[in-house]
Amino acid sequence: MLDKKQLERYLSFCMNSEADFAEIYEELENSETITALNGKMENVNNILTKGIGVRLYKGLQSVYAYSNETEEEAVMPLLEELVDSFGKCDKGVSIRLEEVLYENRHPVKIDFEQVALEEKNELLKRANDAAFGTDERIVKVQAGLLNVKQKVQIANSNGRLIGDTRVRTRLTVEAFSQEGDNFQSGSDRPGAGKGLEFYEEMTPEEIGREAARVALVNLQAKDCPSGKMPVVIDKAFGGVIFHEACGHALEATSVSKNRSVFTGKLGQQIASTCVSAVDDGTIPNAWGSQNIDDEGNFQKRRVLIENGILKSYMIDTLNGRRMGMESTSSSRRQSYQYEPTSRMSNTFILPGDSEFEELFEGIEKGLYAKKMGGGSVNPQTGEFNFAVLEGYMIENGKVTYPVKGAALIGNGKDILWNIDKVGKDLARGQGMCGSLSGSIPTDVGQPAIRVTSITVGGTAHD
Amino acid sequence: MTNQKWIAYALEKGFEAFEIYQILEKNKSVQWFAGEVDSFVTSRVLGTSLRGIYNGKMANFSVEDPSDSNMEMVISNMITQANAITSDEEVVIREPEDTVPVKSKRVWVRPSNEQIRDVMKTLEEKCYQYDPRIVQVSSVQWEEVKNVRKIENSKGMQIEDEITVQALIAGVAASENGQVKTGFKVEMVEDLSQFDQDEFVEKLCSDAVKQLGATSLPSGEYPVILERSAMTNLFAAFTGMFSGDLISKGISPLKDKLGQSVFSDKITVIDDPRFADAINVVSYDDEGCPTRTKKLVEDGVFTTILHDSKSAKKMGTESTGNGFRPAYTSPVNVVPRNCYIVPGDKDLDGLCESMGEGLVITSMMGLHAGIDFVTTNFSLQCAGYWVKDGKRDHSVTLITMAANFLDLMKNVEEVGNDIKWSYGDIACPSVRFTSCAISGE
Repeated sequence: MLDKKQLERYLSFCMNSEADFAEIYEELENSETITALNGKMENVNNILTKGIGVRLYKGLQSVYAYSNETEEEAVMPLLEELVDSFGKCDKGVSIRLEEVLYENRHPVKIDFEQVALEEKNELLKRANDAAFGTDERIVKVQAGLLNVKQKVQIANSNGRLIGDTRVRTRLTVEAFSQEGDNFQSGSDRPGAGKGLEFYEEMTPEEIGREAARVALVNLQAKDCPSGKMPVVIDKAFGGVIFHEACGHALEATSVSKNRSVFTGKLGQQIASTCVSAVDDGTIPNAWGSQNIDDEGNFQKRRVLIENGILKSYMIDTLNGRRMGMESTSSSRRQSYQYEPTSRMSNTFILPGDSEFEELFEGIEKGLYAKKMGGGSVNPQTGEFNFAVLEGYMIENGKVTYPVKGAALIGNGKDILWNIDKVGKDLARGQGMCGSLSGSIPTDVGQPAIRVTSITVGGTAHD
Repeated sequence: MTNQKWIAYALEKGFEAFEIYQILEKNKSVQWFAGEVDSFVTSRVLGTSLRGIYNGKMANFSVEDPSDSNMEMVISNMITQANAITSDEEVVIREPEDTVPVKSKRVWVRPSNEQIRDVMKTLEEKCYQYDPRIVQVSSVQWEEVKNVRKIENSKGMQIEDEITVQALIAGVAASENGQVKTGFKVEMVEDLSQFDQDEFVEKLCSDAVKQLGATSLPSGEYPVILERSAMTNLFAAFTGMFSGDLISKGISPLKDKLGQSVFSDKITVIDDPRFADAINVVSYDDEGCPTRTKKLVEDGVFTTILHDSKSAKKMGTESTGNGFRPAYTSPVNVVPRNCYIVPGDKDLDGLCESMGEGLVITSMMGLHAGIDFVTTNFSLQCAGYWVKDGKRDHSVTLITMAANFLDLMKNVEEVGNDIKWSYGDIACPSVRFTSCAISGE
């Protein structure tokens, strides 16, 4: 990492220009991916990333340069290019940095860098064997282990110098089931902002069995119904509905430029009163947590919606300027190759007061969406989709038979009004969220909820 | 990094073969918003990916700080990796081979910053002038990428080539009666001074404006045309089915189907990294294997499996020159390059005319989540328009299209002629299908 004196020189150089703010982000990342097929380790891929990203603001304008050549002779031409684009002027500015120290909220117990590959392979093997052991119709198992350690250092012209080390791990199992010509798959992919101690609480066996369970259910799945109907969306990754239908449209990236259906709606009711939601980047060792955001501000818990009323957006500094609002410490990026912007962290609907069974009451014909995949949204129109990976028919208040996966679609500004019951059992699920500043780990979450009407994209028509 | 020094050191440490793959990416991006340059990004990134065979196992390592001081650490780490691999698949680092070099037809003229700014400013103004219902030009962006690729290995391979791309990207929003619709367009621009701004604005803005007033449809089975970009996106999501890696693992839906009819006889699919109309034209794949033209599907019959060196060994055949790295940090995998459905005779209007009444789908969303590759079942959010008496009638939104891709591809009525190569490696013309399940109201 660059030392304090060097950073001070660079920042001073940048600020002797028309720029009114300068920031240097530096990153070192070690990532390791291990993949196995049917219990045999196939591939190991190590990636050592090292780079620097420099950003200057002038009012609402930003210029950004990045490189992985961090020696002075490579960095200076980049800085000169940035300074030139705003215009040089000798203001006699000299930046002094003050390092900010703090207590790490996300300590790691078993550092993956200190563990032999054989032991990691053993985790994959345990998941593999558990999946195969579930049922003889499981014919193939792919497993993958991802470990990442990202060290960042952020220095800016306000004199702030701060660092963070983010560690995360994820075990992915995809099980394949077969019965005659019927070939199906199922997967599970939990993760956390932890070291390998994660697999003591979430065992590889559980992950393998869960993937196998879904693959086996899919062997029995019939055609999914189509059209508008009530849907019960289960806890944990079910929260992808909020992430897509509402979360992205509450990011300042969309809001500040009037590209969101929720622009100008602060203080207004945008959801039914049973909906309260937060974005909380402080949860210890959660998948989407950090100590600081990628502009060096301490992560926060943000109440987005309280009893249906819009309370806060997720804001980064630059978009905050456009909006005349403070940053909510929501600035994130995949790596130094991206300019940071407002993003989600761990975003979820808070528990309500309905029992799980109540959610099904009175539904004549509907869908129980037990396991979800990803989705996407156009924040400007509000139109979103997300995928159901494991679903069941609800007939006369009872869950009857499994149906094939289907998309659920709607408009974010309507759908939150259609949530009429929220369960008590909050859980979170892990995902990778892609947007302007790259692909970042985020948690989605919710208790089981009921949506009174949403379009289900199946193939069976009445 | 001194490449030859690293290779010599790896061999000395017991590697049977060693390869260095490097991409130097230079990028410039300028974004215009609300009458000024909103953001300017410039970059220079050197990505280095190493692989080597040790005791018959392949180790992979990507490093962004390839200074010689890291050499011992990296090589020793790679040996540890190789020792841990338990798979017994045969791996290959290739011998150098000659081939006839090819180049894209495109001639890229680099514009000045002033020229870029002028064009973006005019484009923004023209969009606002196009129609009062255009309420926002959400962004206008200029992108320039130049990638220089180098492959060097212990068997004497020395390859160096480059790919340049320049593109103009813009988005607009149109609004009427409280409904907002967006238009988005990416255009490859070889020479900004020759660029037809009016045509670009017309396509971008009319796309947004025409969607205003869009409604859903009652759920049902309808005749469907997938317009070229929707067809391209859907087809791209399933091209992994031609991969020798996935076929040999028994995961591809086309396993055991070579020589069989898998699509309608109206469909022929070609994979051609040498196709000069495309953007990413290469003489060699990322393993240094010469590329060539292959018919993957001929008149509906699955004729060729795509291979890299490893999958070819596994299936007892030769690489087709499709060993590519999706990013320099990714290991080599089987990837199609310039893969397309061979166009037919009619343009989109002609296809609509022959359909008479039905649905044209112009966009599909959620492709990363809404497809089940193994079964080829998919269910995706779509938008488009209804065709009545062979002509565009009203716009349609918030519907899904759900089908089994292999079944759908057997129900092709006609293939259009409107193929267009853009930044992607896959291209399709519009295709008319007998019918498909649509879910809406």
